Amino acid sequence: MSQQFTPNNPLPQEAKVPPKMAVFPPEVEAEIERHLAKYPVKRSAILPLMFIVQRERGGYLDPPGVAYLADRLGVRITDIWEVATFYSMINTEPVGRYHFQICRTLSCKILGAGKITEQCTKRLGIKPGETNDDGTFSLSEVECLGSCGTAPMMQIGFDYYENLTTEKVDELIEKCKSGELSNGVR
Amino acid sequence: MAELIKVIINGQDFQVEKGARLIDACRENGYSIASFCYYADLALQASCRMCLVRIEKMPKLQTSCTITCTDGMVVTTESEEIEKARRGMVEFLLANHPLDCPVCDRGGECELQEMVFDWGDLEERFTERKNYAPEKFLSPVVANDSQRCILCKRCTRVCDEWMGEDAIEAGGRGAHTVIGTYGGWLNCSQCGNCIEVCPTGTLLDATYRHQTRPWELSRTTSTCSFCSDGCQLSVGSRRGEVMRVVARDRYVNGHNGEFLCIKGRFAHPFVNHEERLRTPLVRYKKGGRLVPTTWEEAVRFAAQKLQEVKDAHGGSAIGVVGSPRLTNESNWALLRFARDVLGTDKYTASEAFSLAPFFENLSAPLATHKDIRHAKTIVLIGGEPEELQPLTGKQVRQAVRNGGAKLVIFNSVPIRLKEQAAQFVHIRPGSEDAVVLALASPGDAEVAASKLGVEADEIGKASQIISETAGDVVLMFGGELSAEAQSVVAQLPAAFGEKEGRRFLLHPLPLFNNSVGVHDLGLMNGALNPLEILDAAGSEVRALYVAGGFLPAHLEGREGALSRLDFLAVQELFLTETAEAADVIFPAASFAETDGTFTNSDGLVQRVRQSIPPVHQSKPDWAITSQLASALGTDLGFQMSSSNIFLDIAHGVPAYEGLRYPLLKDESKPVQVKHALAGRRDVTAQLAELRRALESLDENAEKITETPPVGHELFKLGVLTSKVPQFHLLAAGNPEPESVLVSPLYQITLDPGLRREAAAGD
Ligand code: SF4
Ligand code: FES
Ligand code: FES
Repeated sequence: MSQQFTPNNPLPQEAKVPPKMAVFPPEVEAEIERHLAKYPVKRSAILPLMFIVQRERGGYLDPPGVAYLADRLGVRITDIWEVATFYSMINTEPVGRYHFQICRTLSCKILGAGKITEQCTKRLGIKPGETNDDGTFSLSEVECLGSCGTAPMMQIGFDYYENLTTEKVDELIEKCKSGELSNGVR
Repeated sequence: MAELIKVIINGQDFQVEKGARLIDACRENGYSIASFCYYADLALQASCRMCLVRIEKMPKLQTSCTITCTDGMVVTTESEEIEKARRGMVEFLLANHPLDCPVCDRGGECELQEMVFDWGDLEERFTERKNYAPEKFLSPVVANDSQRCILCKRCTRVCDEWMGEDAIEAGGRGAHTVIGTYGGWLNCSQCGNCIEVCPTGTLLDATYRHQTRPWELSRTTSTCSFCSDGCQLSVGSRRGEVMRVVARDRYVNGHNGEFLCIKGRFAHPFVNHEERLRTPLVRYKKGGRLVPTTWEEAVRFAAQKLQEVKDAHGGSAIGVVGSPRLTNESNWALLRFARDVLGTDKYTASEAFSLAPFFENLSAPLATHKDIRHAKTIVLIGGEPEELQPLTGKQVRQAVRNGGAKLVIFNSVPIRLKEQAAQFVHIRPGSEDAVVLALASPGDAEVAASKLGVEADEIGKASQIISETAGDVVLMFGGELSAEAQSVVAQLPAAFGEKEGRRFLLHPLPLFNNSVGVHDLGLMNGALNPLEILDAAGSEVRALYVAGGFLPAHLEGREGALSRLDFLAVQELFLTETAEAADVIFPAASFAETDGTFTNSDGLVQRVRQSIPPVHQSKPDWAITSQLASALGTDLGFQMSSSNIFLDIAHGVPAYEGLRYPLLKDESKPVQVKHALAGRRDVTAQLAELRRALESLDENAEKITETPPVGHELFKLGVLTSKVPQFHLLAAGNPEPESVLVSPLYQITLDPGLRREAAAGD
């Protein structure tokens, strides 16, 4: 197997191209600056910056966005990856315009989160972790969102929808389809 | 002596050093404590909870790896309660583990396996479905089976703290946490230290994957044959073939612990490579072909030819060239051959630069790598240890990150170590000598600064850091320095003078495994250096006897030199540029097939031990030399034993006096040779020369602003590394393969189309 790699037949030398970095308009840069100024150590601003970059890059941290964050915070891209994959609110893959995040932790589960997810799957045609074909909806199951008193509940973008029933889910989906509902991204 | 305090462990009183970690205190006093995540000299993790102990007056069991001993502490390390907790932890660790030891490369030397023998139960109570993830490749040399991970995070800590790369991290959360990297493909220096420290079969040597089981290997402790750091390693071989190289156990290895770099760990396949020279080869007529022959015939022919040249032009018309890649023993045999058999003073070694001026003026001891780790100030002039001497790079980084040392870097390139520097002085290319001048003679600092292209006070700041240090100051320098600058560096400690509590140590950064050795033996003190020998070929030098081959840099621009010789004998592993021009080629044995010693950049003489029989018909270099000597009528008296040669070295070289192989046996206590210290020397002549050179420096030269990419030196294809397919992939920019579920090598070899496409980087 090794014959092909003789010194006479080497692979061409190629300089590695660094990942392209995202560029943001001045008002976004100013917003980022405001956050950075709050912390004595730059990298502490990792979460607020991630939310901004995610919002600006179409709902998820694409490679240029990640490269930007690493550079801006003075950390490695792996550090960004580590934090980004820890939080369900940070997306590392593209998500739909409406991101349904259904709580599946104890209180919600007991009070019927399973049914809510099922209903979403039935109506949207996607399972948790998927996005539908036209990119309108994504479905996720997430851990406790601290709203156990109004279980079962879900989050669309940053907006909470509580005391859910299958009827309420249908209604929400209709409102999303007609564009009436905010997608909760701020 | 640190203050002692009393700790009571299992009812017995012990005196331990104040500030000692409880887990270490227990272990040192004979109580074994289970642990996964604790790793000496790395940041604390405390995630595995195997090291639980009971400490009186503390609620709950405590993790002994995070507890600092305090006076009067009462500790219990064994009880029913502790056993129960440990068994519980192991059960948790196995909850998602695939239990596939029979097909795991780590099986047989796995810390998790051992721990389960000690603390595991036969029955599993978890009946839920386990997480599943396929085995995949993270790079051409790292394979990964994430299901076996116990999340001790040793790998991510060595990647960050040792290598400064932070290339792997733990992603995801909870039971779905996996060790990995952004994008799934590692673009790091490929040191493989994450593989070494992993206590499970999660991170695996991709080159050794499914090749053999650990218990089938015979293991030989030896010394790495690449750079001047001289890492200790364990060569695993099976039936005459080197299968893998790993570092020595961290508890016994005093030099590099479990650290190795990509070359030490993954470049070993050159040993059994199919292109190794198999038999002696002779070219009977100039311009003729090299024909395979027997040892007797090749030696006879070489002896006859050398004798002819000697008779016609005298012994001094023959040059002898050793190599900083070969053992001390082989180089000593060559030196004896030159002196006693040929009577020539034209001997040298194919070394990139000579350290002679440095050692002549040495005014402070050499720093060992341990010294570097505990230094308080490190000054680095030129060089790029993270690429050329990776262990040094790691020690410097740890000295700063884990030891709080101050690092001052003078370099024309913003090297990666700059991240750790307290002061980085970005100088113009080629002005390293000026730095030395400015440090040695403050009067010149201002002029020098303008030539260097740095602020006038930068030199003063650096000098101040050095002056104010309480503790060790290590002065390191790379190959950029001229002979004069080397002399002055060696005298810098004297220039700074004595100060209570401060100690100067020097650390050269030569390029090869035995660079310091060839210097010590005196092989570099011949009448000509390698370039001069090549230039004299055909005139003053009529014949050459070369072991190991010239460096490409020597031959560049001197292509015709070797063909001007009347006779050229070469002993080599491969048909290199030098060997191709030879009239006689002797197949030499590699480091894995010989006994001997290398002397590293610390001046540590370390053993090289034979792990496999010489491949094909090759022989150790010193054996070839003494055979040739006999054919010329001189018995060098080595009696076919490298230890006899070492004895001869110990008699002939003052710094090695009294050394014997048995004294070098224990790699937990490396032995440093005693280089003579010169005391204060007058270096005004050298300073004057430096001043003169300073004037001709270009004040407008452009600075280099790009940090070179990781691996630009490490992945270079040399004679040895080009024999390893993985290095070709890395040198081509480490293209990510189509699928990481199959070996990148396999895919790219299988489909030449894919190979071109992937390598083009699009
Ligand atoms: S991969 Fe190995 S070293 Fe890294 S966290 Fe998992 S078990 Fe520990
Ligand atoms: S369990 Fe759903 S919000 Fe807490
Ligand atoms: S060794 Fe102490 S918690 Fe892992």
